[in-house]
Amino acid sequence: MARSPLERREGRAGYVLIAPTTILLMVFYLFPLAQTVVYSFTDWNPGTGTIGNVVGAQNFVDVLTNAEFLRAAGNTALYVVVVVPCSLALGLFFAALLATPFRGRGLYRTLIFTPYIAPIVGSALIFSYLLTPLGGLVNNGLGLFGFQPIAFLTSEPWAMVSVIVFSIWQLVGYTMIIYSAALSNVPPSYYEAATIDGAGPVRRFFSISLPLVAPTSGFLAITGLIGSLQVFTQVYVLTGGGPLGSTETLLYWIYQQGFVFFQGGPASAGAVILLAVGILVSVIQLKVLARRDSVELA
Amino acid sequence: MRARKLAPAIARHAILIVASLIFFGPFVWMLLTSVKSSSEALSFPPTFLPREWHFENYSDLFDVAPFGMYYLNSAVVTVFTTLGQVLTSLAAGYAFARLKFRGSNVIFVVLLAALLVPFEVVFTPLISLLSSLGWLNTYQGLIVPNVPSILGVFLFRQFFSSFPTEIEDASRMDGAGVWRRFRSIMAPMATPMIGSFAILSFVYNWNNFFFQFLAVNRTEFFTVPIGLAQLQSSQAATSFNLLMAGSTLAILPVFLVFLLFQRQIVTAMSGGLR
Repeated sequence: MARSPLERREGRAGYVLIAPTTILLMVFYLFPLAQTVVYSFTDWNPGTGTIGNVVGAQNFVDVLTNAEFLRAAGNTALYVVVVVPCSLALGLFFAALLATPFRGRGLYRTLIFTPYIAPIVGSALIFSYLLTPLGGLVNNGLGLFGFQPIAFLTSEPWAMVSVIVFSIWQLVGYTMIIYSAALSNVPPSYYEAATIDGAGPVRRFFSISLPLVAPTSGFLAITGLIGSLQVFTQVYVLTGGGPLGSTETLLYWIYQQGFVFFQGGPASAGAVILLAVGILVSVIQLKVLARRDSVELA
Repeated sequence: MRARKLAPAIARHAILIVASLIFFGPFVWMLLTSVKSSSEALSFPPTFLPREWHFENYSDLFDVAPFGMYYLNSAVVTVFTTLGQVLTSLAAGYAFARLKFRGSNVIFVVLLAALLVPFEVVFTPLISLLSSLGWLNTYQGLIVPNVPSILGVFLFRQFFSSFPTEIEDASRMDGAGVWRRFRSIMAPMATPMIGSFAILSFVYNWNNFFFQFLAVNRTEFFTVPIGLAQLQSSQAATSFNLLMAGSTLAILPVFLVFLLFQRQIVTAMSGGLR
């Protein structure tokens, strides 16, 4: 197709305008990404920057038979399987409670949303204080009912329970806001018609709201899953991966391999495995979004 | 009839009050503890209001850790990262939405794919790249790698795509080039979106932990979240009043931004979906 000089000039301007983003992404994202894949087949040492040997698939064999890696994978899986559905369910619950206008609605929404915008280091520190065995608010409360203090952050299975509860608490505000936006797109006439037909609030929720926000649920489930695969900060602050590795997650394991033990090969192999799971999830996500007709890839 | 209407409303308030306590209560507790003595912070039974108000906890905190410097570092890193994200995303979003150039669709799809793959996964070679550039423990090392924002490109592309083309077409007829149209028409029209995205970016950048945690190990370049985590390991469970004062200082700026610009944050967050 012949292009006019004007079009060609505008095309050049297009390249200039996208250059900063694309060049920076290539240097600081795609290039390290390619390196991760290449290094996963070597005995790269991130401390010295040296590569001694190409070891082939040995890193993958080592990683996939490494008990600590498998435990970290199991911990991450458990985390994802509990945190994602619970944060979605609670977010939708509060979004539905706050769907119709009433006095105090904005205040409630703000208060429930707050944990999501607070820096995780700060709010995790509050939790470590609330959960401390001697004198923490939670154990003081349990003491009133005659319970012995529980070492929430340093004993199994409570450490993982604490990390999971914290993460749900932190995420619900986000899922609530996204669900609120989705619910506000549901035409009020649907609810009115159902009310005339005698459907109560519970029935209306399950027969109208829930099916109509299904695409949003799909979106949140998959982005939540991708986010949960990378959980690190709350683990670092609350438990440090302990006790005995019971809260160590995949990213935590990769971090320790790369930055504490300088085992760049296994760290990269672990990252590639995490990446493979992430890509698998991304493909599903693109399908879900495409079904919504909301991403115009054309 | 009245009671039947009233009962659900009361139940709703009851649930939401309990929820507010669970979700917001910890922050109130943090603030109150930050002005208690260290023994009162762990007393049984707990006190709600401090018996004595120890406002000097905050000055003690500045003696224990250089929080002023952490604040300065966080401010520099957050402001410049946000500025960079807004400028680059605005430009790229406009180009993807409004200009025809070869390969634009392919590049955009690659960007979208990158959005869906966790950034955290590539950190080991990224940090070693920063190290070979001599960028560890520098402002540019903390800022530049975070400047490209795929979410931002996506938001601005959506914004410009949904915008009527007539004004820009008329201006093109009048002979205004791309730069002129971008600077004097399109960018000003995007002001609300720029505001929303800038505020959301500010919050995310202020709260960033994992990347900064890896990119700095010298106290001079610690940001507030890193300094706070450092404070935790040095104060190990002994002085929760100081730790809560530190948490308060870390959380306060985002709370203020949030209270002032809640609407914009929510718009930018839910705008990423449409």
